[in-house]
Amino acid sequence: MILKIRVDDLLRTTLATPSRDLVTRTTGAAIRSHIERAIADTPCPTTLLDFEEVGVLDFSCADEVVAKLLLVIEGEHYVVLHGVDETQAEAIDHVLTNQDLAIAIVPRTGGRQVLGRSTPDLISAFEAVHACGSGSAARLAEWLEWSVERAADALQTLALRRLILAANGTFSPLPLQ
Amino acid sequence: MRVVTIPRYFDEKGLDAVAAGLQPWPPEGKLLFDAHATRWASPYGFTAMLAAGQALRERGAETPRLRVPDDQAVSSYWAKAGFFHHAAEFFELHGKVPRRAPVGSSDVLLPVTPIRQSEDVHQVVGGIQESAGRILTSELHLEAQTSMRFSMSLSEACQNVVEHAGGPGWVAVHAFNWKERLNRRVVVIAVCDSGIGFRASLEPTQARHHGDRWGDKAALEDALFHSVSRFPQPGRGQGLAAIKRFILKLNGWLSIRSGTARVAILPAEDSGPPLQDALPFFPGAQVQIVIPSTEVLPT
Repeated sequence: MILKIRVDDLLRTTLATPSRDLVTRTTGAAIRSHIERAIADTPCPTTLLDFEEVGVLDFSCADEVVAKLLLVIEGEHYVVLHGVDETQAEAIDHVLTNQDLAIAIVPRTGGRQVLGRSTPDLISAFEAVHACGSGSAARLAEWLEWSVERAADALQTLALRRLILAANGTFSPLPLQ
Repeated sequence: MRVVTIPRYFDEKGLDAVAAGLQPWPPEGKLLFDAHATRWASPYGFTAMLAAGQALRERGAETPRLRVPDDQAVSSYWAKAGFFHHAAEFFELHGKVPRRAPVGSSDVLLPVTPIRQSEDVHQVVGGIQESAGRILTSELHLEAQTSMRFSMSLSEACQNVVEHAGGPGWVAVHAFNWKERLNRRVVVIAVCDSGIGFRASLEPTQARHHGDRWGDKAALEDALFHSVSRFPQPGRGQGLAAIKRFILKLNGWLSIRSGTARVAILPAEDSGPPLQDALPFFPGAQVQIVIPSTEVLPT
Protein backbone atom coordinates (compact mmCIF):
# COMPACT_ATOMS: atom_id res chain seq x y z
CA MET A 1 0.00 0.00 0.00
CA ILE A 2 1.31 3.39 -1.00
CA LEU A 3 0.16 6.83 0.04
CA LYS A 4 0.45 9.03 -3.06
CA ILE A 5 0.74 12.78 -2.54
CA ARG A 6 0.81 15.18 -5.46
CA VAL A 7 3.09 17.98 -4.39
CA ASP A 8 1.52 20.39 -6.90
CA ASP A 9 -1.83 19.82 -5.15
CA LEU A 10 -0.25 20.77 -1.84
CA LEU A 11 1.20 23.91 -3.45
CA ARG A 12 -2.27 24.88 -4.63
CA THR A 13 -3.74 24.53 -1.18
CA THR A 14 -0.81 26.15 0.61
CA LEU A 15 -0.20 29.29 -1.43
CA ALA A 16 -2.51 32.26 -1.68
CA THR A 17 -1.58 32.73 -5.33
CA PRO A 18 -1.24 29.74 -7.66
CA SER A 19 2.29 28.52 -8.34
CA ARG A 20 3.94 25.37 -9.66
CA ASP A 21 7.24 26.33 -8.10
CA LEU A 22 8.47 24.85 -4.88
CA VAL A 23 10.57 27.75 -3.66
CA THR A 24 11.35 29.45 -0.33
CA ARG A 25 11.78 27.94 3.10
CA THR A 26 8.42 29.22 4.27
CA THR A 27 6.61 27.37 1.51
CA GLY A 28 8.76 24.29 1.98
CA ALA A 29 8.04 24.15 5.69
CA ALA A 30 4.30 24.47 5.06
CA ILE A 31 4.36 21.72 2.43
CA ARG A 32 6.37 19.43 4.72
CA SER A 33 3.90 20.04 7.50
CA HIS A 34 1.05 18.81 5.24
CA ILE A 35 3.09 15.74 4.29
CA GLU A 36 3.95 14.93 7.90
CA ARG A 37 0.28 15.07 8.87
CA ALA A 38 -0.68 12.81 5.97
CA ILE A 39 2.00 10.31 6.91
CA ALA A 40 0.91 10.35 10.55
CA ASP A 41 -2.66 9.54 9.47
CA THR A 42 -1.95 6.77 6.97
CA PRO A 43 -1.64 3.05 7.56
CA CYS A 44 0.49 2.81 4.39
CA PRO A 45 4.15 2.05 5.07
CA THR A 46 5.33 3.95 1.99
CA THR A 47 4.64 7.49 0.81
CA LEU A 48 5.20 8.50 -2.78
CA LEU A 49 5.67 12.22 -3.33
CA ASP A 50 4.76 13.09 -6.91
CA PHE A 51 6.86 15.96 -8.36
CA GLU A 52 5.63 15.46 -11.93
CA GLU A 53 3.82 18.82 -12.10
CA VAL A 54 6.24 20.79 -9.94
CA GLY A 55 8.30 23.47 -11.69
CA VAL A 56 11.32 25.00 -10.01
CA LEU A 57 12.60 23.40 -6.82
CA ASP A 58 15.20 25.54 -5.10
CA PHE A 59 17.76 24.34 -2.58
CA SER A 60 16.01 25.86 0.41
CA CYS A 61 12.78 24.09 -0.43
CA ALA A 62 14.58 20.84 -1.21
CA ASP A 63 16.06 21.05 2.28
CA GLU A 64 12.73 21.87 3.92
CA VAL A 65 10.59 19.35 2.06
CA VAL A 66 12.89 16.39 1.50
CA ALA A 67 15.85 16.52 3.90
CA LYS A 68 13.89 17.63 6.94
CA LEU A 69 11.11 15.16 6.17
CA LEU A 70 13.60 12.30 6.19
CA LEU A 71 14.95 13.54 9.51
CA VAL A 72 11.56 13.68 11.23
CA ILE A 73 9.95 10.47 9.96
CA GLU A 74 9.75 7.92 12.71
CA GLY A 75 9.25 4.18 12.70
CA GLU A 76 9.04 1.94 9.67
CA HIS A 77 7.92 4.46 7.09
CA TYR A 78 9.46 4.91 3.66
CA VAL A 79 9.41 7.87 1.28
CA VAL A 80 9.94 7.74 -2.48
CA LEU A 81 9.97 10.67 -4.90
CA HIS A 82 8.33 10.34 -8.31
CA GLY A 83 8.55 12.45 -11.46
CA VAL A 84 11.66 14.35 -10.42
CA ASP A 85 13.37 16.31 -13.20
CA GLU A 86 17.10 16.76 -13.66
CA THR A 87 17.49 20.11 -11.94
CA GLN A 88 15.20 19.11 -9.07
CA ALA A 89 17.33 15.99 -8.65
CA GLU A 90 20.46 18.13 -8.47
CA ALA A 91 19.03 20.22 -5.65
CA ILE A 92 17.74 17.20 -3.72
CA ASP A 93 20.99 15.30 -4.18
CA HIS A 94 23.00 18.24 -2.89
CA VAL A 95 20.98 18.88 0.27
CA LEU A 96 20.79 15.18 1.12
CA THR A 97 24.49 14.56 0.57
CA ASN A 98 25.32 17.47 2.87
CA GLN A 99 23.30 15.86 5.64
CA ASP A 100 24.31 12.25 5.06
CA LEU A 101 20.83 11.30 3.89
CA ALA A 102 19.55 9.44 0.84
CA ILE A 103 16.29 8.80 -0.97
CA ALA A 104 15.04 6.67 -3.84
CA ILE A 105 13.48 8.49 -6.77
CA VAL A 106 11.82 7.76 -10.07
CA PRO A 107 13.14 10.38 -12.47
CA ARG A 108 10.71 12.11 -14.81
CA THR A 109 12.47 10.30 -17.65
CA GLY A 110 11.85 6.92 -16.02
CA GLY A 111 14.00 4.33 -14.30
CA ARG A 112 15.13 4.69 -10.69
CA GLN A 113 17.90 6.45 -8.87
CA VAL A 114 19.31 7.05 -5.42
CA LEU A 115 19.93 10.69 -4.52
CA GLY A 116 22.10 11.83 -1.64
CA ARG A 117 24.85 10.00 0.21
CA SER A 118 25.72 6.72 -1.44
CA THR A 119 28.63 4.59 -2.59
CA PRO A 120 29.14 2.46 -5.68
CA ASP A 121 28.39 -0.64 -3.57
CA LEU A 122 25.13 0.84 -2.33
CA ILE A 123 24.06 1.76 -5.85
CA SER A 124 24.93 -1.71 -7.14
CA ALA A 125 23.05 -3.36 -4.31
CA PHE A 126 20.05 -1.05 -4.73
CA GLU A 127 19.86 -1.86 -8.43
CA ALA A 128 20.33 -5.56 -7.77
CA VAL A 129 17.50 -5.69 -5.23
CA HIS A 130 15.21 -4.10 -7.80
CA ALA A 131 16.42 -6.39 -10.56
CA CYS A 132 16.26 -9.70 -8.73
CA GLY A 133 13.52 -8.94 -6.22
CA SER A 134 13.25 -9.98 -2.60
CA GLY A 135 15.90 -12.17 -1.12
CA SER A 136 18.67 -12.63 1.37
CA ALA A 137 22.21 -11.32 1.48
CA ALA A 138 23.36 -14.67 0.12
CA ARG A 139 21.14 -14.31 -2.93
CA LEU A 140 22.37 -10.79 -3.59
CA ALA A 141 25.97 -11.90 -3.12
CA GLU A 142 25.47 -14.58 -5.74
CA TRP A 143 23.77 -12.14 -8.12
CA LEU A 144 26.55 -9.57 -7.81
CA GLU A 145 29.38 -12.08 -7.37
CA TRP A 146 30.28 -10.48 -4.05
CA SER A 147 31.13 -12.03 -0.70
CA VAL A 148 28.10 -12.52 1.55
CA GLU A 149 29.64 -10.09 4.08
CA ARG A 150 29.93 -7.38 1.45
CA ALA A 151 26.36 -7.93 0.26
CA ALA A 152 25.02 -7.99 3.83
CA ASP A 153 26.84 -4.78 4.67
CA ALA A 154 25.42 -2.99 1.63
CA LEU A 155 21.90 -4.28 2.27
CA GLN A 156 21.95 -3.28 5.91
CA THR A 157 23.11 0.20 5.00
CA LEU A 158 20.37 0.49 2.36
CA ALA A 159 17.81 -0.65 4.92
CA LEU A 160 19.07 1.82 7.53
CA ARG A 161 18.73 4.57 4.95
CA ARG A 162 15.21 3.31 4.16
CA LEU A 163 16.08 2.68 0.54
CA ILE A 164 14.90 -0.93 0.69
CA LEU A 165 12.56 -2.89 2.92
CA ALA A 166 14.05 -5.30 5.44
CA ALA A 167 12.34 -7.99 7.51
CA ASN A 168 13.64 -11.18 9.09
CA GLY A 169 16.81 -11.27 7.06
CA THR A 170 15.00 -10.70 3.78
CA PHE A 171 15.39 -7.57 1.72
CA SER A 172 12.82 -6.24 -0.75
CA PRO A 173 12.68 -3.31 -3.13
CA LEU A 174 10.58 -0.29 -2.23
CA PRO A 175 7.43 0.05 -4.34
CA LEU A 176 8.38 2.84 -6.75
CA GLN A 177 5.08 3.19 -8.59
CA MET B 1 22.73 70.55 0.45
CA ARG B 2 25.20 67.72 -0.16
CA VAL B 3 25.44 66.49 -3.70
CA VAL B 4 26.05 62.82 -4.37
CA THR B 5 26.90 62.38 -8.02
CA ILE B 6 25.52 59.32 -9.73
CA PRO B 7 28.20 58.16 -12.18
CA ARG B 8 27.62 58.31 -15.93
CA TYR B 9 27.82 54.53 -15.93
CA PHE B 10 26.06 53.35 -12.79
CA ASP B 11 26.87 49.73 -12.15
CA GLU B 12 28.60 47.77 -9.42
CA LYS B 13 31.76 49.87 -9.63
CA GLY B 14 29.70 53.05 -9.74
CA LEU B 15 28.14 52.17 -6.42
CA ASP B 16 31.52 52.60 -4.71
CA ALA B 17 31.59 56.21 -5.88
CA VAL B 18 28.03 56.77 -4.65
CA ALA B 19 28.89 55.17 -1.30
CA ALA B 20 31.94 57.44 -1.00
CA GLY B 21 29.63 60.42 -1.41
CA LEU B 22 27.54 59.22 1.54
CA GLN B 23 30.41 59.18 4.07
CA PRO B 24 30.44 59.48 6.97
CA TRP B 25 27.44 57.17 7.21
CA PRO B 26 24.74 58.06 7.97
CA PRO B 27 25.10 61.36 6.15
CA GLU B 28 23.69 64.48 7.77
CA GLY B 29 21.62 67.17 6.14
CA LYS B 30 19.68 67.22 2.91
CA LEU B 31 21.08 65.10 0.10
CA LEU B 32 20.79 65.47 -3.64
CA PHE B 33 21.48 62.40 -5.72
CA ASP B 34 22.42 63.93 -9.02
CA ALA B 35 21.87 61.64 -11.99
CA HIS B 36 21.43 64.41 -14.58
CA ALA B 37 24.47 63.25 -16.56
CA THR B 38 23.99 59.53 -16.03
CA ARG B 39 23.87 57.65 -19.31
CA TRP B 40 23.22 54.13 -18.16
CA ALA B 41 22.33 52.19 -15.03
CA SER B 42 22.45 48.48 -14.49
CA PRO B 43 19.83 46.60 -12.44
CA TYR B 44 22.44 46.72 -9.68
CA GLY B 45 22.46 50.51 -9.85
CA PHE B 46 18.66 50.73 -9.70
CA THR B 47 18.23 48.38 -6.78
CA ALA B 48 21.19 49.78 -4.83
CA MET B 49 19.82 53.29 -5.19
CA LEU B 50 16.50 52.18 -3.74
CA ALA B 51 18.34 50.45 -0.89
CA ALA B 52 20.10 53.73 -0.15
CA GLY B 53 16.77 55.56 -0.12
CA GLN B 54 15.25 52.99 2.18
CA ALA B 55 18.26 53.07 4.52
CA LEU B 56 18.17 56.86 4.75
CA ARG B 57 14.48 56.81 5.57
CA GLU B 58 14.97 54.15 8.24
CA ARG B 59 17.58 56.36 9.87
CA GLY B 60 15.18 59.29 9.94
CA ALA B 61 17.04 61.29 7.31
CA GLU B 62 15.31 64.08 5.47
CA THR B 63 13.87 62.79 2.20
CA PRO B 64 16.68 63.15 -0.34
CA ARG B 65 16.27 64.65 -3.78
CA LEU B 66 16.98 62.75 -6.95
CA ARG B 67 17.75 64.64 -10.11
CA VAL B 68 16.66 62.39 -12.94
CA PRO B 69 18.78 61.91 -16.09
CA ASP B 70 18.50 64.75 -18.60
CA ASP B 71 18.62 62.39 -21.53
CA GLN B 72 15.05 61.35 -22.28
CA ALA B 73 16.07 57.99 -23.68
CA VAL B 74 17.87 57.28 -20.43
CA SER B 75 15.02 58.39 -18.19
CA SER B 76 12.60 56.49 -20.40
CA TYR B 77 14.64 53.31 -19.83
CA TRP B 78 14.66 54.00 -16.08
CA ALA B 79 10.89 54.23 -16.21
CA LYS B 80 10.68 50.99 -18.20
CA ALA B 81 12.88 49.36 -15.59
CA GLY B 82 10.30 50.33 -12.97
CA PHE B 83 12.78 52.47 -11.08
CA PHE B 84 10.88 55.74 -10.80
CA HIS B 85 7.75 54.00 -9.59
CA HIS B 86 9.58 52.83 -6.47
CA ALA B 87 12.01 55.74 -6.21
CA ALA B 88 9.11 58.14 -5.68
CA GLU B 89 8.61 56.48 -2.31
CA PHE B 90 12.08 57.45 -1.06
CA PHE B 91 13.19 60.46 -3.13
CA GLU B 92 11.83 63.81 -4.21
CA LEU B 93 12.16 63.38 -7.95
CA HIS B 94 13.38 66.44 -9.81
CA GLY B 95 13.52 66.77 -13.57
CA LYS B 96 11.41 65.32 -16.31
CA VAL B 97 10.08 61.98 -15.16
CA PRO B 98 8.24 60.01 -17.85
CA ARG B 99 4.63 59.99 -16.68
CA ARG B 100 3.84 56.48 -17.70
CA ALA B 101 6.14 53.58 -18.20
CA PRO B 102 6.29 52.79 -21.93
CA VAL B 103 5.51 49.31 -23.13
CA GLY B 104 7.94 46.90 -21.52
CA SER B 105 11.30 46.32 -23.11
CA SER B 106 12.40 42.81 -23.92
CA ASP B 107 15.69 43.63 -22.22
CA VAL B 108 13.94 44.21 -18.89
CA LEU B 109 13.19 40.65 -17.87
CA LEU B 110 12.07 41.75 -14.46
CA PRO B 111 11.45 45.39 -13.58
CA VAL B 112 12.48 46.59 -10.14
CA THR B 113 10.38 44.52 -7.76
CA PRO B 114 10.24 44.74 -3.97
CA ILE B 115 11.04 41.67 -1.91
CA ARG B 116 9.44 41.68 1.51
CA GLN B 117 8.14 38.17 2.06
CA SER B 118 8.15 34.66 0.76
CA GLU B 119 5.17 35.24 -1.54
CA ASP B 120 7.14 37.94 -3.37
CA VAL B 121 9.79 35.37 -4.24
CA HIS B 122 7.10 33.10 -5.70
CA GLN B 123 5.80 35.97 -7.83
CA VAL B 124 9.28 36.81 -9.08
CA VAL B 125 10.25 33.23 -9.92
CA GLY B 126 6.90 32.41 -11.50
CA GLY B 127 6.75 35.61 -13.53
CA ILE B 128 10.15 35.49 -15.16
CA GLN B 129 10.57 31.89 -16.28
CA GLU B 130 9.21 32.16 -19.79
CA SER B 131 11.06 35.32 -20.80
CA ALA B 132 14.27 34.30 -19.04
CA GLY B 133 14.19 30.87 -20.65
CA ARG B 134 13.75 32.43 -24.09
CA ILE B 135 16.67 34.82 -23.68
CA LEU B 136 18.98 32.31 -22.02
CA THR B 137 18.55 29.81 -24.81
CA SER B 138 18.05 31.96 -27.90
CA GLU B 139 20.28 34.94 -27.10
CA LEU B 140 22.86 33.52 -24.69
CA HIS B 141 22.91 30.11 -26.41
CA LEU B 142 22.74 28.20 -23.15
CA GLU B 143 21.15 24.78 -22.72
CA ALA B 144 17.48 24.60 -21.77
CA GLN B 145 18.24 23.33 -18.25
CA THR B 146 19.98 26.62 -17.51
CA SER B 147 16.59 28.27 -17.28
CA MET B 148 15.63 26.17 -14.24
CA ARG B 149 19.01 26.72 -12.57
CA PHE B 150 18.64 30.43 -13.27
CA SER B 151 15.26 30.43 -11.49
CA MET B 152 16.75 28.51 -8.56
CA SER B 153 19.56 31.05 -8.25
CA LEU B 154 17.13 33.94 -8.49
CA SER B 155 14.99 32.38 -5.79
CA GLU B 156 17.94 31.83 -3.44
CA ALA B 157 19.24 35.36 -3.97
CA CYS B 158 15.82 36.84 -3.19
CA GLN B 159 15.41 34.60 -0.16
CA ASN B 160 18.53 36.07 1.40
CA VAL B 161 16.52 39.25 1.80
CA VAL B 162 13.57 37.49 3.42
CA GLU B 163 15.68 35.22 5.62
CA HIS B 164 18.61 37.38 6.64
CA ALA B 165 18.30 41.08 5.82
CA GLY B 166 15.72 41.98 8.40
CA GLY B 167 14.20 44.49 6.01
CA PRO B 168 12.95 44.92 2.48
CA GLY B 169 14.98 44.58 -0.67
CA TRP B 170 14.62 44.88 -4.42
CA VAL B 171 15.34 42.64 -7.34
CA ALA B 172 15.70 43.42 -11.03
CA VAL B 173 16.80 41.34 -14.00
CA HIS B 174 17.98 42.77 -17.32
CA ALA B 175 19.63 41.48 -20.46
CA PHE B 176 22.16 43.67 -22.24
CA ASN B 177 25.39 43.67 -24.21
CA TRP B 178 28.21 44.12 -21.72
CA LYS B 179 30.99 45.21 -24.02
CA GLU B 180 33.01 46.96 -21.36
CA ARG B 181 33.75 43.98 -19.14
CA LEU B 182 32.95 40.73 -20.89
CA ASN B 183 32.26 41.64 -24.52
CA ARG B 184 29.26 39.34 -24.37
CA ARG B 185 25.52 39.59 -24.07
CA VAL B 186 24.58 38.92 -20.46
CA VAL B 187 21.61 38.45 -18.18
CA VAL B 188 22.12 40.23 -14.88
CA ILE B 189 20.26 39.60 -11.65
CA ALA B 190 20.65 42.26 -8.97
CA VAL B 191 19.25 41.91 -5.47
CA CYS B 192 19.93 44.73 -3.04
CA ASP B 193 18.62 45.44 0.42
CA SER B 194 19.13 47.94 3.17
CA GLY B 195 19.09 45.37 5.96
CA ILE B 196 21.57 44.38 8.59
CA GLY B 197 24.21 43.05 6.20
CA PHE B 198 26.29 39.87 6.36
CA ARG B 199 28.49 40.99 9.23
CA ALA B 200 25.63 41.63 11.65
CA SER B 201 23.82 38.51 10.48
CA LEU B 202 26.77 36.23 11.21
CA GLU B 203 28.35 38.09 14.12
CA PRO B 204 26.63 36.20 16.97
CA THR B 205 27.95 32.84 15.77
CA GLN B 206 31.10 33.64 13.78
CA ALA B 207 32.86 36.68 15.25
CA ARG B 208 34.58 34.72 18.00
CA HIS B 209 36.16 32.36 15.47
CA HIS B 210 37.89 35.27 13.74
CA GLY B 211 38.92 37.46 16.67
CA ASP B 212 40.50 40.69 15.41
CA ARG B 213 40.01 39.64 11.80
CA TRP B 214 36.25 39.80 12.15
CA GLY B 215 34.58 42.27 9.82
CA ASP B 216 32.57 42.61 6.62
CA LYS B 217 35.18 40.80 4.53
CA ALA B 218 35.44 37.83 6.90
CA ALA B 219 31.65 37.59 7.06
CA LEU B 220 31.35 37.56 3.26
CA GLU B 221 34.11 34.96 2.95
CA ASP B 222 32.35 32.76 5.51
CA ALA B 223 29.05 33.02 3.68
CA LEU B 224 30.28 32.58 0.11
CA PHE B 225 33.27 30.29 0.47
CA HIS B 226 32.35 28.26 3.56
CA SER B 227 28.52 28.23 3.28
CA VAL B 228 28.17 29.57 6.82
CA SER B 229 24.71 30.66 7.92
CA ARG B 230 23.50 32.31 11.08
CA PHE B 231 21.19 29.32 11.52
CA PRO B 232 22.82 26.24 13.05
CA GLN B 233 20.87 23.61 11.07
CA PRO B 234 23.05 21.60 8.66
CA GLY B 235 20.82 22.35 5.67
CA ARG B 236 21.38 26.06 5.96
CA GLY B 237 23.83 28.19 4.02
CA GLN B 238 23.35 26.25 0.81
CA GLY B 239 21.65 28.98 -1.22
CA LEU B 240 24.78 30.96 -1.97
CA ALA B 241 26.68 27.72 -2.52
CA ALA B 242 24.13 26.78 -5.17
CA ILE B 243 24.44 30.15 -6.88
CA LYS B 244 28.23 29.83 -6.77
CA ARG B 245 28.13 26.42 -8.48
CA PHE B 246 25.74 27.74 -11.14
CA ILE B 247 28.05 30.67 -11.84
CA LEU B 248 31.20 28.57 -11.96
CA LYS B 249 29.57 26.18 -14.41
CA LEU B 250 28.67 29.03 -16.77
CA ASN B 251 31.90 30.99 -16.32
CA GLY B 252 29.69 33.74 -14.93
CA TRP B 253 30.07 36.41 -12.32
CA LEU B 254 28.85 36.60 -8.76
CA SER B 255 29.63 39.49 -6.49
CA ILE B 256 28.37 40.36 -3.04
CA ARG B 257 28.99 43.69 -1.39
CA SER B 258 28.08 44.29 2.22
CA GLY B 259 29.24 47.10 4.47
CA THR B 260 32.81 47.86 3.45
CA ALA B 261 33.73 44.70 1.56
CA ARG B 262 33.02 42.86 -1.64
CA VAL B 263 33.72 39.28 -2.62
CA ALA B 264 33.40 38.03 -6.13
CA ILE B 265 33.65 34.96 -8.29
CA LEU B 266 34.77 36.25 -11.62
CA PRO B 267 34.88 34.80 -15.12
CA ALA B 268 38.24 33.41 -16.19
CA GLU B 269 38.90 36.30 -18.55
CA ASP B 270 38.26 39.05 -15.98
CA SER B 271 41.20 40.31 -13.97
CA GLY B 272 39.19 42.13 -11.31
CA PRO B 273 39.92 41.56 -7.61
CA PRO B 274 38.01 38.65 -6.00
CA LEU B 275 38.18 40.34 -2.59
CA GLN B 276 37.97 44.00 -1.73
CA ASP B 277 38.05 45.53 1.71
CA ALA B 278 37.98 49.06 3.13
CA LEU B 279 35.43 50.20 0.57
CA PRO B 280 33.19 53.13 1.51
CA PHE B 281 30.41 51.80 3.75
CA PHE B 282 27.08 51.06 2.13
CA PRO B 283 24.18 49.64 4.15
CA GLY B 284 22.69 46.18 3.68
CA ALA B 285 23.82 43.69 1.08
CA GLN B 286 24.08 43.92 -2.69
CA VAL B 287 24.22 40.78 -4.82
CA GLN B 288 24.93 40.67 -8.54
CA ILE B 289 24.74 37.55 -10.68
CA VAL B 290 25.93 37.81 -14.27
CA ILE B 291 25.21 35.03 -16.76
CA PRO B 292 27.19 35.49 -19.97
CA SER B 293 26.48 34.28 -23.46
CA THR B 294 28.62 31.46 -24.73
CA GLU B 295 29.51 33.69 -27.68
CA VAL B 296 31.42 36.97 -27.76
CA LEU B 297 29.77 39.98 -29.35
CA PRO B 298 30.50 40.53 -33.02
CA THR B 299 33.08 43.25 -33.68
